Amino acid sequence: MNPRMEWKLVLGAVAVLAFVIAALVKEGERRRGVGFLLAWLIPGAGHVFLGRWKKGLCLLLIMSSTYLFGMYVVGFRAVSFEDNPFYYVGQYGSGVTFLVAQILGVEKAYPRQENPGWFDPGLLYVCVVGLLNLVLMINTLDLKLAAPAPAAVPPAPGVIPPEPAKPPAPPPVQENPA
Amino acid sequence: MKGISYLFLYVPIVLVILTVLETCRSDDPVKILKRAFANFGVLTAVLIGGGAVVYLINRFL
Repeated sequence: MNPRMEWKLVLGAVAVLAFVIAALVKEGERRRGVGFLLAWLIPGAGHVFLGRWKKGLCLLLIMSSTYLFGMYVVGFRAVSFEDNPFYYVGQYGSGVTFLVAQILGVEKAYPRQENPGWFDPGLLYVCVVGLLNLVLMINTLDLKLAAPAPAAVPPAPGVIPPEPAKPPAPPPVQENPA
Repeated sequence: MKGISYLFLYVPIVLVILTVLETCRSDDPVKILKRAFANFGVLTAVLIGGGAVVYLINRFL
């Protein structure tokens, strides 16, 4: 497939998804939809956006280290569609992996004489990160959002707000008759 | 490196997958790690048991 065509297709799909979220999803759910899109862009970013920043950062750390290890094993080359269609599609699971694959895609990963022996497991690591990110994206839609704090209602004009209750008076101290 | 050396890469990738899946289910880090390692043990035991059965069938039947 033509790389320029791929860019247009993927960015078009993201734009259509963003439009659908903005137009059809309810106001309260819109934040979740933005988190869904952010989760595709960067693994864990959706959780950070929805307030689960510890979980999001942990997920980002796990996913990025797995991805970097996989890329290290395959010699920092992205897999093309002609190399292995399954591993290639797995790179679409995240915006970052897709971007890296597009940048490195000019140089084919396979077949090469100097490929390391663990080449296939390395591709599996890269592919698994993309596929796991799909799970994280779906999980952002399932997160329980923190309820917004209730806003303070100003008293109506002409209505005197009740005074706060006074603390009970301390018991009288008995003086010593002597 | 071919053959059995691939198995060294089985442990980290399976732990990563199970940890991420458990992270989606729970918020407690201790619970996440416990369940991930427990599931890893069960999965590995099933794989080893299945491999042993296949080996025995091929060897003696």
